[in-house]
Amino acid sequence: MITSRNKLYTMLFIACIAGYIWLYLSMYNNQSEINSLNTCFIKHTTNIPCPSCGSTRSVISLLHGNFNTALYINPLGFVIVLIMLFAPLWMILDFTTKRKTLFDFYNKIEHHLKKPHYAISLVLLVIANWIWNITKGL
Amino acid sequence: MDAQKVDMFIMSNTKFFEAHQIMAIRERLLTMDDSKWHMISTVQFKDPTTSLIVSLLGGSLGIDRFIIGDTGLGVGKLLTCGGFGIWTIIDWFMIQGATREKNMQKLQQFLY
Repeated sequence: MITSRNKLYTMLFIACIAGYIWLYLSMYNNQSEINSLNTCFIKHTTNIPCPSCGSTRSVISLLHGNFNTALYINPLGFVIVLIMLFAPLWMILDFTTKRKTLFDFYNKIEHHLKKPHYAISLVLLVIANWIWNITKGL
Repeated sequence: MDAQKVDMFIMSNTKFFEAHQIMAIRERLLTMDDSKWHMISTVQFKDPTTSLIVSLLGGSLGIDRFIIGDTGLGVGKLLTCGGFGIWTIIDWFMIQGATREKNMQKLQQFLY
């Protein structure tokens, strides 16, 4: 559990900035350069895609409006787009009103995710996605 | 609390905490009521070495963070392929400290 509001917000802020920079680089550089710049550690060493491989491509196709392609490449792209859209807005809202609603929300979600029936079903979903990724050969 | 009990607790649980916390824990335990001994002696702590092994093997899926109870950070690590591989490497060095910090938080619920 992250103990203070500002720590969580700093981490989220850095993650969002890194995400947007990465997205910008991936969108405006040519495709061959991206392929040689292989970020995924698992894919790099074992040649097997990891559960979240292809999420950059998924987010990019979402930005182009291709919902079906995004869903086909990696459904986790939707989650990432939601987080990247709403986390900065929510943080700005919290900072301007001097509250900690996002921090409370984060703690609540974390508390729920620790319950076995949520945890197990989500783990199964991720594993299913992983198997799908391997069969698709991302 | 009995000094003998406290020293036994400290000896068997030293590896779960940061070195600088040990003395404070000892002082605090000595001033505590004997009735709390039963609770404190049954608290389960996470082993830093285990989380290091998990971090080396499953770090890029965020499993190390899930194991120590940082579910939110674990999800973040899973979604980003271990933070583009950078966070994975950082966590190889950070995870033992994070585990000890978690253990301290857990013990603090009983200490105060």
